[in-house]
Amino acid sequence: MTKKLVSMMLAVMLLAGLTVSFAAAEDYPDLEIWSNNNGYLAVEKGGALYNFYKELTGVGITQPYIEWNGGTTYQEQLNLRIAANEMPDMFIPVNGMETDLIRAGAILDLTDLLPEKAPHLYAAIPEAVWDVVKANDPTGQGRIYYIPGVLTFARSGGIIRQDWLDALNMEMPKTQEEFVEVLRAFRDKDPNGNGQADEIPTGGRAEARWMDYLFSMYGVASWEGYPQWDLYNGELTYSAVTPNMKEALAWIASLYAEGLLDPETLLNDKAAWDGKINSGRVGVYHHWAQASYEYAESIKDATGTEAKLVVIPPISAEGYEGGYTQLQVGSVQFVVTNTRDESKINAVMRVLDCYGNDEMREQFVLGVPGMHCTYDENGKGSRLPVDMQHQENMIFHPDETLASIESTTDSLNMIRSEDTAWAVDQSIENLSHMVEYGRPIAGDGVPNSIYSDYPDIQNRILYAQYASKIITGEYPIDKFDEFVEKWYASGGNAVTERAREWYRKVSE
Amino acid sequence: MKESRSDAAFSAVMTGIMIVFALIALIPLLNILSLSLSSKVAVEMNSVNLLPVGTTLDSWKFIAGNGDIWRSFAITLFSTAAGVVLAVILNALMAYPLSKTYFAPGKIIMMLVVGTMIFKAPIVPYFLTVRGYGLYNNVLVLIVPHILSAYNMAIMRTFFKQFPAEVEEAACIDGCGMFGTLMKIVLPSSKAVLATESLFYGLTIWNQFQHPMMFISKVELYPLQLKIRQLINAGGDLSSMVVRANVNYNETTLGAAAVVFAIIPIIAIYPWVQKYFAKGAMLGSVKG
Repeated sequence: MTKKLVSMMLAVMLLAGLTVSFAAAEDYPDLEIWSNNNGYLAVEKGGALYNFYKELTGVGITQPYIEWNGGTTYQEQLNLRIAANEMPDMFIPVNGMETDLIRAGAILDLTDLLPEKAPHLYAAIPEAVWDVVKANDPTGQGRIYYIPGVLTFARSGGIIRQDWLDALNMEMPKTQEEFVEVLRAFRDKDPNGNGQADEIPTGGRAEARWMDYLFSMYGVASWEGYPQWDLYNGELTYSAVTPNMKEALAWIASLYAEGLLDPETLLNDKAAWDGKINSGRVGVYHHWAQASYEYAESIKDATGTEAKLVVIPPISAEGYEGGYTQLQVGSVQFVVTNTRDESKINAVMRVLDCYGNDEMREQFVLGVPGMHCTYDENGKGSRLPVDMQHQENMIFHPDETLASIESTTDSLNMIRSEDTAWAVDQSIENLSHMVEYGRPIAGDGVPNSIYSDYPDIQNRILYAQYASKIITGEYPIDKFDEFVEKWYASGGNAVTERAREWYRKVSE
Repeated sequence: MKESRSDAAFSAVMTGIMIVFALIALIPLLNILSLSLSSKVAVEMNSVNLLPVGTTLDSWKFIAGNGDIWRSFAITLFSTAAGVVLAVILNALMAYPLSKTYFAPGKIIMMLVVGTMIFKAPIVPYFLTVRGYGLYNNVLVLIVPHILSAYNMAIMRTFFKQFPAEVEEAACIDGCGMFGTLMKIVLPSSKAVLATESLFYGLTIWNQFQHPMMFISKVELYPLQLKIRQLINAGGDLSSMVVRANVNYNETTLGAAAVVFAIIPIIAIYPWVQKYFAKGAMLGSVKG
């Protein structure tokens, strides 16, 4: 009898022990998450940021230091880890590497998990964006394999030196003619008042990039200089091969011939072009509305002038409809490594849910008090200056990757201080117009896989060559037709076919 | 021998051309040096060419006061010194027997060695193998994979082949064993090849970049070149909304200072080893 009792008690105790260990298993396991790092410290177990994330989300997160290097080094490192069968639990894939991984079954299918376990994130991303993600499933099953970035406004536009306009008593240009008049005045009338004709009315960078606002006057869909897909004549078409592009190039070539474009436009790299803007010599440039404060501060450092930088309301060329191209579907943010480990899955979903939770956004953006930010006596947080030697790399930037005007404005307010208010307030003002200035396009979210086997088309080799030569006048504008022909013949037909096929799927 | 007038003209023209080349090679170095000594504003305006603009030592103060860089410097210095010593010993021990025709397996071994020059291991298996040896995130990975290069070993072997056999025979008759001959007779009179090899290996290890990038993920173990890369690495257009630091340096000036910092030791050593280097370039080119 006692034996029975003892054994029963033992069994009960065992069971109790089991449930206890079960409860303990609800403690999330740590996760290793890879994202881009521009030189900050690694996120190590037990470190400040690790503890911060653990407190915020309940999940400890680590991240080794991985060189980003434009994504190249990062991709090499990631590939080595994948080859060694040691994928991080969650990571940002680059250069379309997720396609093969998804096909190989290495990525977790999130379709059913998201609504159940990460409802905040699921709701934070618009239905239309999820539809694109499903259409982009390389297995063709219409499943969700990645978390996309979201941007609900046009990010960049033409930015003009309002203080130059004021100095010359000119109005913000509304038509193309007025705009050209402004450029001429910038060239001839010494708006920066230094007595030298050193002004560059406008310009851009190599490969005809970063002057999208000029193209946009002709309705050319373009993202930071990359032609995009939109409906032309009712069909999804690569904007570089449309009559709109031809008109735009002809016009830009005329600006170049008149000396209104930086003569080095097609040679400028980022540093060279930024250098000209920062030294207070450029009248109009194309860049992010929210980042105008950086240029404004640099111009002040260099010249002492408090430049007033304002986004030009989109101008339409006659017979066309202008607008700054808006891409709602951002690049792939995260994929989750496939696993059967229930506790890992729960941890990942918990982190994703927090990432999409608007109430936690501010904390994610501000980071660790004392390391990334400070709080004043009213509890208002503000970011500390960049200090890569002592700051750990923040992994989540929901203000930028799930970006709305509101979230971006909040973040700008976090970096606003008495000294910088004049510049940051300009950015906030500029940003507030970017929804109305935006022009959504039909090809929003078209996957890079449409370019597979045609790297030259993806890299815009032919386009950059012809556009550059037409702008500088080396080629007459008639050469554009030859370009279109060549483009279609060298793979453009196949790529267009795939893009249209994709568009049919999304439109369903 | 009298130098004819055309010879003199020729050497004058050659000297002129060489000076021009030297100046061309000097320009980027000067530019980097000036960048490291210029103010942030001047660099942002792209106004620095050959001379510093808004001269400041802030970037250099940052570098000098940065413990991480000195640690990386120490790691690189240590791995280079240790690597060179090990490499020279290892190469000599392998090249010497292979230079002897009466060493029967020498031919096959040499073929295998040359084989590694032709058939290089693909990157993933190579990564897995080296990691399998426990060298991942290990300082030794800066040394071990580099200390025996087939090419350098072949140079040394050819050098030993030219070594006068009579001298070795004399040593042998005087009672020297194989090992003693190598250590006491051959190596002491092979300073040229030893210096050259040291320079080759030293440069390889000092400058290595790809290897540590693959095998070292711990920032504390970063050698100098990776550390510099980390400093130079700018974010490009991925500009995040951040508060700009109120300092008189930026990635460009820091990167420039770090680059100069890293080449100072090489520049300091070069003149001393160069005379051997010039000799070494021809080593093994004539089979005696």
